[in-house]
Amino acid sequence: MHGVHGRALRVDLADGTALSEEIPELVASRVLGGAGLASLLLHRFCPPRVEPLAAENPLVFATSPFVGTGITTASKIAVATKSPQTGVIGDSLSSSYLAIALKRTGFDALVVQGAAPAWSVLVVDDDRVSLRPAATLLGLDPAATADALRAEMGSGFRVAAIGVAGERGVRYAAISNDGRLAGRTGAGAVMGSKRLKAIAVRGTRLPAVADPRGLAAAARGLAERSLGPGTAKYREVGTAANVAFFDRMGVLPTRNFQSGRFAGADAIGGETLLLEHHTDKHGCAACTVGCEHRYRTRDGGPTTEVRLEYETLFALGSLCGVADPNAVLRAAARCDALGIDSMTTGATIAWAMECRERGIDLGVPADEIPAFGDGAALLRTIDAIGDRRGLGDLLAEGSRAAAALVGQGSEAWAMHVKGLELPGYDPRKLQTLALGLAVGTRGACHNRSSAYEVDFSDRLDPKSEATARAEAAAGAEDQAALLDSLTLCKFLRHTLHDVHEEAASLYTMVTGVPTAADDLRLAGERITNLKKLFNIAQGWTRADDTLPPRVLVDEGETTLLSRPWLDQMIAAYYRVRGWDEDGLIPAEHLERVGLADLVELAPVAAFAGR
Amino acid sequence: MSGAEPRCEIELFGVPRLLAGARSLPAAGGTLGELAADLGARCPALVGKVIDGETGWLLDGYTFVVDERFTRDSRCPLTPSSSVLLVSSVAGG
Repeated sequence: MHGVHGRALRVDLADGTALSEEIPELVASRVLGGAGLASLLLHRFCPPRVEPLAAENPLVFATSPFVGTGITTASKIAVATKSPQTGVIGDSLSSSYLAIALKRTGFDALVVQGAAPAWSVLVVDDDRVSLRPAATLLGLDPAATADALRAEMGSGFRVAAIGVAGERGVRYAAISNDGRLAGRTGAGAVMGSKRLKAIAVRGTRLPAVADPRGLAAAARGLAERSLGPGTAKYREVGTAANVAFFDRMGVLPTRNFQSGRFAGADAIGGETLLLEHHTDKHGCAACTVGCEHRYRTRDGGPTTEVRLEYETLFALGSLCGVADPNAVLRAAARCDALGIDSMTTGATIAWAMECRERGIDLGVPADEIPAFGDGAALLRTIDAIGDRRGLGDLLAEGSRAAAALVGQGSEAWAMHVKGLELPGYDPRKLQTLALGLAVGTRGACHNRSSAYEVDFSDRLDPKSEATARAEAAAGAEDQAALLDSLTLCKFLRHTLHDVHEEAASLYTMVTGVPTAADDLRLAGERITNLKKLFNIAQGWTRADDTLPPRVLVDEGETTLLSRPWLDQMIAAYYRVRGWDEDGLIPAEHLERVGLADLVELAPVAAFAGR
Repeated sequence: MSGAEPRCEIELFGVPRLLAGARSLPAAGGTLGELAADLGARCPALVGKVIDGETGWLLDGYTFVVDERFTRDSRCPLTPSSSVLLVSSVAGG
């Protein structure tokens, strides 16, 4: 099989032992790479019901056959672990040169196990593996950590690092590389629990592809199309364009989902930011789209420049009622520097803001609790979270855990699914999205289930019955799993004539394994089932597939949802999936999707040396 | 159609808003197809970027939202009270 090395590197931080694990071709072709491969390795090496911050919880990094091939946007790395925020699978992707560097080492994936006796940096230099002391790096932000390591070790190394939040166990700490974050579900906290400040990777060899000439032509064509109308929004305005439109449609989460309209939407909208705060834009590693827009504060205070996406903008803006773009930009930069997920940060602070509004005792003086709309308090609270200081120590647990600790009915406005806070789409008016969020394997995530696309189209009648919603949600979820496993950017999906047909053609040219569109449809379904299988092993139950109570009842904001309707859609989703009525996967279904033997086939250990 | 009496105010978002330099523009038409053609005639900045100069219809990547329903059906009928939005068809982030 071309395009892969067929092996993973497994490192035990406790003693520095490194093993090479064979990844048989049958396994590689079934899970493709990226999120699929990372999920399989996690399933293989993570004990059932493990405590996420225990040394036994592995941290997996995986590349894909497409990484390093010249296919635009494909330089992505998948990270998987058992999430300390949700207790289920925590899989994240980020685009960076780290993916290419890791693949150049001669391994398709890296599995980090155990915990180092002292703060360390894991160095993988081709097949040489070592641990270096990291004491001098503690307290540095991720970018400074990478700069320090590359200055010392050489610029050929690519670095993934955690910030102070990861060091201090903030449960939604991220792993940062090249300024991009594997942001959601707290992989940075797991890395911190292993006393691993950074990973530095350098390599010299990429595997050959099966059809270099054909692939080069296809990659050129795709790169040209990537500059067409299907990505114009991302290139010209960026995802920040969502703010004004979502507000107009009444689906912009505002003041902790108390409303779908925000009076300050124009002030923080993409069109305004572009005209008044924009500095430049970039493409991430090996990408021709160039959607990364950067903005600068313009209020006379200390200048801050930061990359900003819609999800950060809504979470630190409308969700917290903050209409000052300068405050939002500073808050975003602060999250990046601390190394925390800006979405959960904003959502957890919004929960605290509503607690203040309702007079809930959070164990600190009331005036220390931030109020909706107070940009300065937002910044102070973010710093406190990073330091785990005062109220920040509570909020560092995320909204679900914080509400459980505080009680007083505050669970009712903790806006999460399985512990992961909702993205910037109000599900009350987006029914297919609502289902996708409820059943999502990593919790409320728009990236793992882009079912909102169905709601933002004419594909379904607004009065569609549950089965149609279920089929649409499952299809969107499987397509996301496919793209995350091939490590193709979802921003490309509208430039592909047919996602499965074109992806199959590319996969065949890279690997030499004849692959049809239907094979990839099944692969997407298989990978979704694999993630679900992991969750079941970790204790998932039917009760976990739900939505926050706020969106299921009219609270002045009209909802198209209700608990019976959601339950009806979930039941239909399980039927469409071939699962039983409790959402468990029957053995014959594991056979059908090609998972039954796969878990058994997962990597066979072979010694590779230290 | 450009001389026809305006039938509705089209609200613009994202790229269309930036190209037009306006939050909304008036246009006339009994159907979305006629409305799009009239919009292109009134706002040349949209032609070639959002509206096809030859067909007068939307280029790939854009959609209308009529009375809160997404549609690219050029035959979609309009009434004087129709709410019409023009936005990228690439939903979300």
